[in-house]
Amino acid sequence: MNKIIDRSIDLGPYWPQEDDDLIICRCEEVTKGEIRKAVHEGMVTLTEIRRYLRTGMGLCQGQTCAKLVKNIVARELKIAPNELESAVSRAPARPVEMRVLANEVITGGENHE
Amino acid sequence: MKRVELIVIGGGPAGLSAAIEAAKTGMDVVVFDENAKPGGQLFKQIHKFFGSKEHKAKIRGYKIGQELLAEAQETGVKVVLKATVIGIYEGKEVTVMIGDAIEHYKADTIIVATGASENMVTFPGWTLPGVIGAGAAQTMMNLHGVRPGQKVLMLGSGNVGLVVSYQLLQAGCEVVALVDAAKQVGGYGVHAAKLARCGVNFYLSHTIVKAEGEEQVTGVTIGAVDQNWKVIPGSEKQFEVDTICLAVGLSPMSQLLKVAGCKMIDDPKRGGTVPTVNQYGETSVNGIFAAGDVSGIEEASSAMIEGRIAGAAAAYALGYLTKEAFEMKFKNSEDALNALRQGMFGPENKGRKDLTMTEEGILLSQSLLKKGYLAEPEVTAFPGVKTKIKGIHPVIECTQNIPCNPCQDACVKGCIKIGDHITALPIVGEDSACSGCGMCVAACSGQAIFLVDENTETGYANITIPYEFLPLPEKGELGKALDRSGTAVCQAEIVGIKSAKAMDHTNLLTMKVPANMAMTARFYKAMG
Repeated sequence: MNKIIDRSIDLGPYWPQEDDDLIICRCEEVTKGEIRKAVHEGMVTLTEIRRYLRTGMGLCQGQTCAKLVKNIVARELKIAPNELESAVSRAPARPVEMRVLANEVITGGENHE
Repeated sequence: MKRVELIVIGGGPAGLSAAIEAAKTGMDVVVFDENAKPGGQLFKQIHKFFGSKEHKAKIRGYKIGQELLAEAQETGVKVVLKATVIGIYEGKEVTVMIGDAIEHYKADTIIVATGASENMVTFPGWTLPGVIGAGAAQTMMNLHGVRPGQKVLMLGSGNVGLVVSYQLLQAGCEVVALVDAAKQVGGYGVHAAKLARCGVNFYLSHTIVKAEGEEQVTGVTIGAVDQNWKVIPGSEKQFEVDTICLAVGLSPMSQLLKVAGCKMIDDPKRGGTVPTVNQYGETSVNGIFAAGDVSGIEEASSAMIEGRIAGAAAAYALGYLTKEAFEMKFKNSEDALNALRQGMFGPENKGRKDLTMTEEGILLSQSLLKKGYLAEPEVTAFPGVKTKIKGIHPVIECTQNIPCNPCQDACVKGCIKIGDHITALPIVGEDSACSGCGMCVAACSGQAIFLVDENTETGYANITIPYEFLPLPEKGELGKALDRSGTAVCQAEIVGIKSAKAMDHTNLLTMKVPANMAMTARFYKAMG
């Protein structure tokens, strides 16, 4: 969270690649090309990419694509993947329906704090 | 809000072990697991484990799972299933989704043992039905009794890829190829050898170019890769398959720890984003521990020990263990863990490609690393292989420094020696007093021990092999003997079948082959 990313680096122009139409985030159907383009448009942290494209926001919550997205962004930025901070994790850590999230079991008074 | 002394998140090998260790001291422990059955991955691991007795070596994974569950029940651990922990907040507050409601807990200590998830790789067609994780295939076969497909291509030659490929064969699938972009087999050589002698072809330095099919996978194209991992044009090969299994590594499921505010690092050697932990598994947040794959990808044996350490540490933190008792427990566990982490597959050597010799100074088999099987001239270099011995004797084709020693314990005659150094290669003495009981054959988790009688009086050799396929052949049946590469080399007659409870489903087949095939024939295939 404390890493500072240099946003002034010139990434050069965005050149299309042969496999740009490959789906990376299956839940939200985001392609490799869209992710690469997003980097050139200034989205350089994984949290920014997630908010911009919704990668990892679907049913699997990034369980499948998080690493793939990280690798694509890192390659575009010409850095090692582990130099990139993973996107923020926050509760609920699993997809939860709103009606469930709002339905808290209230236990008897003796257990209350 | 309910208050619990210890909440364990995840009921796999690490979580259950942690819960047991803590509950033994009298602590009040709850395990939450999001699955319908506890045990994590153990119940789909139908193979025998490596290690020594204390690591539950030569016991099949699902039996270890049963043992852990029984122990958990005895010690009074409360296991709540279909319970998904969705958040950890300040002050160790935990929210759990159970059914269609959220329950709120406050813990004094938390052990996170959420394990790992499978990695994926992308190629055109990777989203087609039929492309699945190797772990998913294992779940289908071994938990639900469903064959994932008929013809399967496996990507990844690590232990998961090798073990699951073998289990696919056991389930009656055809494994058309085992592909890995690396130059050499990543997992244990003995696991690779098991596949090779069943006729599975290894394609190292190859990768998947594309999966074919409209509605589902109908085929796959692979190609050789150069030093820059680029496919060499013209090297493509096509296979007709209905399933592609991906065994390309695991990532720790560490999100909850991150939610809880633990300091995290991205460590490729440990599989991805993991918490920083001390020697007891405690994270940067006081009283929150991590154990098992979530803190670094290893295997179930080390996860269980890490769990025990974290469980004891949690008990010590709350005053349920004295300092002396805790330190003793920790020392014992640490020794067991260190024993497992030795050898050429230990975390320190992980990913090393420059190892050329065993600890004993024997050249590693290049054929094993490239094709999955030992070349015949290489075999005799190893101390478990002695030829020209009169009468029946064990031939141990164990050629890598794996932390494992059940073969030594199995032989009551003392023919097999490993010594105290658990990764040492087994030695078969020249003056072997082998009685042919076959317990070593059945005890070897790597199925790497054979009993050989090089020359019976009739000019034939008898080879006893471990056999874990069904149906078993019948005595007197004629078939083909296969060599280490899975090539049929001669006729074989089944002259003995031994199945005993102590052998735990590893049957011993004795086949009669011409005497000159004694060091060649290593597998049996029924005719027709």
